[in-house]
Amino acid sequence: MGTDESATTATTRRLSPDWLLRDEIGLCPCGCVGKRRRGGFVEKTLSGVSGLVRGAMFSEDVAATPGLLQRIDARVKVVTLLGLLVVAAFLHSIAALATMYVVALVVASASRLSVRFFVARVWLFVPVFTGIVVLPATLNLVTPGTIVVPLGHWFGGPVGLTAEGLESAGLIVMRVAVSISLVVLLTLTTPWTRLLHALRSLRLPATVILVLAMAYRYLFHLLAAVEDMYTARRARTVVPDRDLRNGRRFVAASAGALFGKAYGLSEEVYLAMVARGFTGDVRLLAPDRVKRRDLAWCVACGGLGLVLLWGDRVLG
Amino acid sequence: MTVSSAEPRSASLLECRDLEYAYLGRFPALDRVSLTVERGESVALLGANGCGKSTLLKLLDGLLFPAAGSYRAFGTDVTEDHLEDDQFSRAFRGRVGFIFQNSDAQVFSPTVRDEVAFGPLNMGLEHAAAVARVDDTLAMLDITGLADRAPYQLSGGEKKRVAIASVLAMNPEVLLFDEPTAALDPRTQHWMVELIAELHDVGKTIVLATHDLEAVPLVADRCVVLGEDHRVARDGPTRAVLEDVTLLQSTNLVHAHAHLHAGATAPHAHAHDSGHH
Repeated sequence: MGTDESATTATTRRLSPDWLLRDEIGLCPCGCVGKRRRGGFVEKTLSGVSGLVRGAMFSEDVAATPGLLQRIDARVKVVTLLGLLVVAAFLHSIAALATMYVVALVVASASRLSVRFFVARVWLFVPVFTGIVVLPATLNLVTPGTIVVPLGHWFGGPVGLTAEGLESAGLIVMRVAVSISLVVLLTLTTPWTRLLHALRSLRLPATVILVLAMAYRYLFHLLAAVEDMYTARRARTVVPDRDLRNGRRFVAASAGALFGKAYGLSEEVYLAMVARGFTGDVRLLAPDRVKRRDLAWCVACGGLGLVLLWGDRVLG
Repeated sequence: MTVSSAEPRSASLLECRDLEYAYLGRFPALDRVSLTVERGESVALLGANGCGKSTLLKLLDGLLFPAAGSYRAFGTDVTEDHLEDDQFSRAFRGRVGFIFQNSDAQVFSPTVRDEVAFGPLNMGLEHAAAVARVDDTLAMLDITGLADRAPYQLSGGEKKRVAIASVLAMNPEVLLFDEPTAALDPRTQHWMVELIAELHDVGKTIVLATHDLEAVPLVADRCVVLGEDHRVARDGPTRAVLEDVTLLQSTNLVHAHAHLHAGATAPHAHAHDSGHH
């Protein structure tokens, strides 16, 4: 081995330019500490990519947990939760919606979802998407009524939050919270592949299902390509480049390279499909039969919906 | 349009004459390549990177069509026009299976089970028969446990197994492998070599493109060497081809490498994929 190594070294010396055989100056020999810089767009993209993959894997893990909803057939879940969404849209009392929300929390717990995580996931979006929209409706300027929280005198008259405004805003916020909770319950407890099968059995065209499935499947493949490109750049970045133009150039170049990769891959995937007899008609495996516990779940959801609608009428 | 399905039993299973192909009409991949493959044979296509091995496999699978020359399979011309015929296309696709080098391109369905079912369902098998085939194939390749997994959750070796399962489920007569042992760990490489030998033993016709010279004697009876000029440099029994060091050097399959052994220079021939010592 020793003689082999010396032969290789001799060859390297013969072919390599002088600068390649000298060490580059690394850390300053005096031991001084350099300036610290925060990560730029490369680091942010990398952490975004890994966050997305981590999120997807977390969802898959939750969906694989043996909980109540995980045991229910995906088609039944889609139909029943859609039905409950319609019921939520018809409810006009906060009490009925609050009851529905409590039931959603109980089901989440029975499905082994962390209730804290479930609540946070729902209420993170509600204030952003609904709270801001309904806020003006709580003012007497938009919804006239009894002012319960006075905010002073503006535009020549008293301004404040009205009881009627607060009630209608609460109703909308609760309805949105319940709706999001139901959707989160469905997506967190159903693997993406099962969800696609469920949509297929609900007569969504097979081509649409195939496109959705392939988009999701290759999303991860292309994310890995993005991660590789950005990691390679980070590995060769000695001093962070603060010139935004260079950053933009790199992003544009990597987007172009990714497009090229995606195009090449799509050609190859198509050939792989043709090689196995694909002629344009999509044929997929049919889902399994509905079980007894799925029917029990259907009955329970139907009963809940009817009770809520009845209670809403009584209360309203 | 109808295509004659009469298959002369004496004819070669696959027969290519003077095939020419160039990507975008400018970058030559094959130049007057002729090749015959008999029923039950195992043929290795050898050649350096870019010599046209993968292109030839795609032509054999009717995925690309030559600019010149002819290709007959099972006694019938394989042309773009003939493959537009449903009956011929289904028969041809069912009898020739292609395992791509890039498993990511081949494993495109949401789950392993869907992937393996894709071919049988497209062949027109009934749902129950397709499901039975999927179960049998998964069990045969020892990947039943992966059935409900998504492709992005699989390792490279697992993806390769799934890709093979997806083709084997169609029970093709001819199996085309593109670089079957590339980018696999040693244990999976060994498994792959054993599987190809086993498929050959049960009567499948095998054509594989590779430059893994260590695996070739274990899986091929015959070698066809493609040169860097995209022509057939040699077609002969595996042993004779692998012993022709001059040929292997001229086609860039091995390279001369000088070593110092106890002070004296000793030239060796190295295969590209084998480790240097």
